[in-house]
Parts: sequence; structure tokens; C-alpha cells
Amino acid sequence: MRSMQSQIVIVGGGSAGWLTAGVLASEFKHTPDINITLIESSDVPTIGVGEGTWPSMRATLERIGLSENALIQHCNATFKQGSLFRQWRNNSPQDRYHHPFTAPQASNQFDLAPHWLPFAEQVPFAFAMSTQPAMIEAGRGPKNISTPQYAFVQNYGYHLDAGKFVSLLKQHCVTQLGVRHIVDNVTDVVGDKDDVIQQVMTEKNGAVCGELFIDCSGFAALLIEKHYGIKLHKQDHVLFNDNALAVQVPYAADDTPIASATLSTAQTAGWIWDIGLQTRRGVGYVYSSAHSSSDEAMQTLDRYLGGLPADSRVREIPIVPGYREVFWHHNCVAVGLSAGFIEPLEASALVLIELAASFIAEQLPFDSHSMKTVSQRYNQTFTYRWQRIIEFLKLHYVLSSRDDSDYWRDNRAASSQPESLQALLALWQTQCPSRYDFPMAEEMFPAASYQYIYYGMGGQSHLPPKASIARYAERAMQEFSQVRQQSANLARQLPSHRELIEKIAAYGLQKI
Amino acid sequence: MNNATIQALNNVDHKDLKVITHPGAAYGDAVMLSLVVLPEFRHAQSVYPLVFHKNPQTGEFYPVALFGFSDRENLFLHGDQWAAGYVPLYQQRGPFLIGQNNGQQTVHINVDHPRISKDEGEPLFLELGGHAPLLEKVINLLDTLHHGISMNKAFIEALLKHELIESFSLDVSLNNGQKHQLLGFYTINEDKLNGLDGAALGELSAAGHLEPIYMMLASQAQFSNLLAMKNRQAQA
Repeated sequence: MRSMQSQIVIVGGGSAGWLTAGVLASEFKHTPDINITLIESSDVPTIGVGEGTWPSMRATLERIGLSENALIQHCNATFKQGSLFRQWRNNSPQDRYHHPFTAPQASNQFDLAPHWLPFAEQVPFAFAMSTQPAMIEAGRGPKNISTPQYAFVQNYGYHLDAGKFVSLLKQHCVTQLGVRHIVDNVTDVVGDKDDVIQQVMTEKNGAVCGELFIDCSGFAALLIEKHYGIKLHKQDHVLFNDNALAVQVPYAADDTPIASATLSTAQTAGWIWDIGLQTRRGVGYVYSSAHSSSDEAMQTLDRYLGGLPADSRVREIPIVPGYREVFWHHNCVAVGLSAGFIEPLEASALVLIELAASFIAEQLPFDSHSMKTVSQRYNQTFTYRWQRIIEFLKLHYVLSSRDDSDYWRDNRAASSQPESLQALLALWQTQCPSRYDFPMAEEMFPAASYQYIYYGMGGQSHLPPKASIARYAERAMQEFSQVRQQSANLARQLPSHRELIEKIAAYGLQKI
Repeated sequence: MNNATIQALNNVDHKDLKVITHPGAAYGDAVMLSLVVLPEFRHAQSVYPLVFHKNPQTGEFYPVALFGFSDRENLFLHGDQWAAGYVPLYQQRGPFLIGQNNGQQTVHINVDHPRISKDEGEPLFLELGGHAPLLEKVINLLDTLHHGISMNKAFIEALLKHELIESFSLDVSLNNGQKHQLLGFYTINEDKLNGLDGAALGELSAAGHLEPIYMMLASQAQFSNLLAMKNRQAQA
């Protein structure tokens, strides 16, 4: 039997470094020969842009042993039940649609979407398929104070202050999970460019050796790019947004309702995110600098907010949309911003870190031969995931009939659309987005998500009569009426989002 | 509950008030459960199943005695009779509660409670303003409840610490074929209890928590009694 001894070195703190450290350290909590070291340069103050997670974060927190109460009590966190898109379709006053986290009614039994098509003019897709959009609009939280932690009435992720989240993760990793924490600057990477990294040199702590190095150094990409010279697959020809202006906005009053969906409002050259935390909102305009000057962008943000708050600091965040040509090279894996970045339209940043960390934890190789197999597998999987994300984000743009700027016209140009997306769009003229379109065991987005966006954006499907659909016709009508009934019941049973947050802060959620 | 109707009890404003003491649905006894406190477990477990429930306002666990299988069902209540040798203190307290008055904990009264009357029932105060026997009884009861609630809190904390609470659901089939399901209740996790080491058991015992654990387990035998009452009611 081979030696299982392994030093895993994570270069860089931040959400990528500490989440990866947490997942790895909890996986190998009872494996004394596997040690995790995280090196980060001395604390850089974070501004704390509000950030959204997927429901997957609940499982990740549980996995690393962080209680949901701690998240609510220390990270300004709230519940996210999905996204609400406004002004994306045609920019009319009624222009809005939902992408909720809860799967369509009865989706584990049959596909309800074909049965909605005849009613497309009467009821918005998401409202017909799920009770969640109505609960989001009614300002309800996704659970009761008596619902155990991590469990839900309506599926949810979180909105949180990323800076505070990192502090909580760091403290948990170091005090509970035995992660070795080195505060120092990495000055050199030792190893042949065609071979493994042997060690990294630091200013004060000397050499840090390891069998696996995880590059969580953000845009700096110290190992994957600076050392190995691996480039980005740029995606700015598909997704044009390359700059963001972010600002914190206080609530008007202590009892202002907290939105439990990320509000995404399309503008002439991009879109504005609006995330409700406990004590403030995080708002940002992500736009294409080819279609808007930064002055115009600032005016757009100002107009959205009805005037920027007096003492607000607007932070500019450049985006280079793209992902690495190779993520795992020899004994180095890039996780987080060093692996790639894309506009936060579907909050994919944190979930990609969670997926990367789980993959590494569960597939950790112990010899060079396995390293090769696992890294190939990893690269295939994550290239596929990035492609799916890009395709899915682009889907949000291509169906828009907005004609008020070149930005929207350019987004519809066939030359800007991945071929795979064009093929799907052709297919969906005569069939609904389905599991046949997304056959991998671990897809980034289920077919339901494509349905929520495709039909939310006004996409149409003209299906020929099919027996496989017709036999569910009666069932479908029952399910639609179930959704209406359950919505009425839930509106009575669920507390307001703010009330739920305040109760958790006061009493905590029970484990059972 | 309207806070304006809750007043600090005194022998001036409330000297003529009387309290109806016999049971009745009209007096707030048509309930399926009541909070119970540790000091009364011994009495309560001889009549009722004792389980845990969550406070819907806070999500916190508290022990309850069950009187029925569905909302507002009290199988022990027959007209003005409560067919059991013991009624939990929380249920007995009627219109009385402990409130803060000038920084002190004193007896308060909900003057809108259906048990409060001007002409029927037992008086609270004697002719010259002294405490009537009923009020003496109420003061003792509230005192026990008050201490019992903080004992409950420590008990629940200890159980959670040792992960000794688990949820259960009970499917009830009546003789007439009707089915009921009891959801949202919790009990002692016996597997976890049996797996505790000596140190943990010693800790629970020293804090006086082992006895109520076993009384709760023993009280599960009362479910069959409750079911028999339900069957009799369904037949009638």
C-alpha cells in the first residue's frame, strides 16, 4: 500500500482559499497524514460586496460543520430563493420574470412545461410551475423558525457579505478543522515548468513544500499563470460585460422588507444587481465598456438608486470574462478567480468553488499516475461546466427584443452565440428544454433552469401532438391547481423574510 | 392577546373579581396539549404522553402533555369535567401570569379571560383586601411554573447537547377505520441515550435530568390510553 501522506498547500485566502480549505480539511479530519496549509498575504481589507450563493451552499456548510445560525448571525446573511429579472425581455413596465430555486411542481414525475404552453398568455411560466415566485413577491421567507437548520419549505441559498463570510470560514478552519494558517507573501515557485511544483518560497516562513498546490490567488493567478503560463479562454465575444460598479446602500428604515431574490434589472449596456442583506443592500452595475463609458455607467447606477447615497463609495471591479485553458496542471489546481471569472448573472462564482473543492476532496490522488487520470477528468469536467455556464448566461440575452441600444442588438448577433446554444434554440422551437439536452450526471443547471429562462424571456415551443405528453394532460391540470392552492396556504404559514431573520438572530434554528 | 387587558393584580382594581375554576371548553380547556414543567413530570406522566413540541414563535423545544390527536381536541374534557387526576399547572393557571411591575415579578391578570367574572366563581381577595385561598394557590402555582420553566430550559439544553431529541410521527388507526397522523412532535432518542458513556450519564444524573428522561419514555405507554379514549369518542 502506498503512503497516504500528503501536504496540500493552498495559496491565497479569500472565499476560494478558505472554502476549499474547509471542504478538504473536513473531508480528511480523521486522516492524520493529510495536512492542509493555507498561505495568504497579510489582511487586505475587503469592501464586502453582497454576494449570492446557490442552494448547494447549505450542503457545503453542513459538510464543513458551519451552522446556519453562525452564517445568519455573523455574515449579515439573508435567504436567496432565486432571481427576479426585470426589463430583460422588452423593457415595458410589466417586464419581469422569475428563476426560482424550487424545481417545477411534480418534476420528478413528469414534465409540466408542455402543458403550460397553451396558457402562456394567461399565467407567467414560473408562477404556473412553482409556488416560490408568489412567495418571493409576497416577501415571505423560505422556512419557519421551527424548520430545522439547512432544511427548507422552499428551496434556498443565501445572500451574504463575502468579507464577513471569509472571516467566519477562516476562524472555523483554523480553530475547528486544524488548517495550518501562514500569513506571508509567496515570493517564488520552485519546480520545473514542465513538471510538478515542489515548494513555494515565502518572505518570512521560508519554503513550504507540498504534494498538491491549489492556486486560490485570485486574478494574480500566481501558480497557474505566472508559473505555468496557462492562458485564459477569453469569452468577451460572447458575454460583453467587462466592468462593474458596486456600492452599498442603506435601508430606508430598520423594518424595510428584505428581498429574498437577487433583483437583476437590465439597462442599456448591462444589468444592475440588487442584493438585500440584513442591514443594507449591495447594488452594482455590470456593463460593457464597449457600449458605455464609465460616466454613463455611473449615471445609470445613480438613476437606478434615485440618487447615490451621500457618503457612498463606488468600487470599480474590472472583469475579464473567461476561463483557464487548463485548470489542473501537474500538481497544481486553480480554484476561484484564478480559474476564471464571468459576470455574476447566475451567481456562479461560489458554486464553482464548492464544486471544485468537492471534486478535489473526493478524488484526491496519491501518486503521479493517479494525478494524471484525476487531472484529465477534472479538466474535462470543468471545461464542460464553464461552457454550460457561458451558454446559459448567454441565453438570458439572445431572446430579448430590447432595441434601445447596440448592446442588445449585438447580443443577438449570431456571431456572438456559441454554436451549441444556437442548436438548442433551434431544437426548442418544437420541443421543451428537457433532460435530453443536459445528459451529464452533474449538470451545472437542470433543464428546469433553462425552462425558467427560456419561457420567462418569452421563448416559444410549438409541439406536435405526442402521446407521451397527452397522457399527463389531466394530471397537469391537477398540479397547476395544487400550485395555486399551496401558494395560498404558504402565504399564511410562512413568516416575512425580515421576521424570519430576526428570529434566527434571537433564537437560532434547531438542528432537528 | 391584547396587552391592555393584562394588568398587575391589586386589591383595589380587582377586589370584586371572581374566577370560574371548573373546567370547560368555553374557558380555554379545548386544547390538545399543555406545557409541562419538570417539577410536575411525576404526576403528569401517570396520565398523559409527555413529548416535545416547538414553540412556533421561537422554534425552541418545550415539553408538553398531550390531551388529543388534533388541534383543539381534548379527550379528557367532558362538559365541566376533566377526567384525570392531574391537570398540568400551565393549564390550571387560567387568567394568571407573572409580569414585571416596577422591576419586580408580580402576579398579573388577563381581565378579558373567559374565566373572569363579577358574579360567578371564587373571589381573589377577602373582604378587607387580604388574599383569598384561591389567590394563595395561584401564587404557589405561578412560582412553581416560573422555576419549572427555567428548569425546562436547562433540561432541553442538556438534551440538545447530547443530541437526545429526535422527531417522531405517529400514525393512528381508529377502530372505525379513520386515520390520524401526529406530526411536529419530538421525543427522547433512545438509541443515543443507550449509547451514552458513563461520564455523560453522570452529568445528566447530577443535574437531575436522567429521571425526567425516563419519565418521558415511560409516559409513552399513555398513548394507548389516549387512543382508547379516541376510539370511545368515535363510537359515541
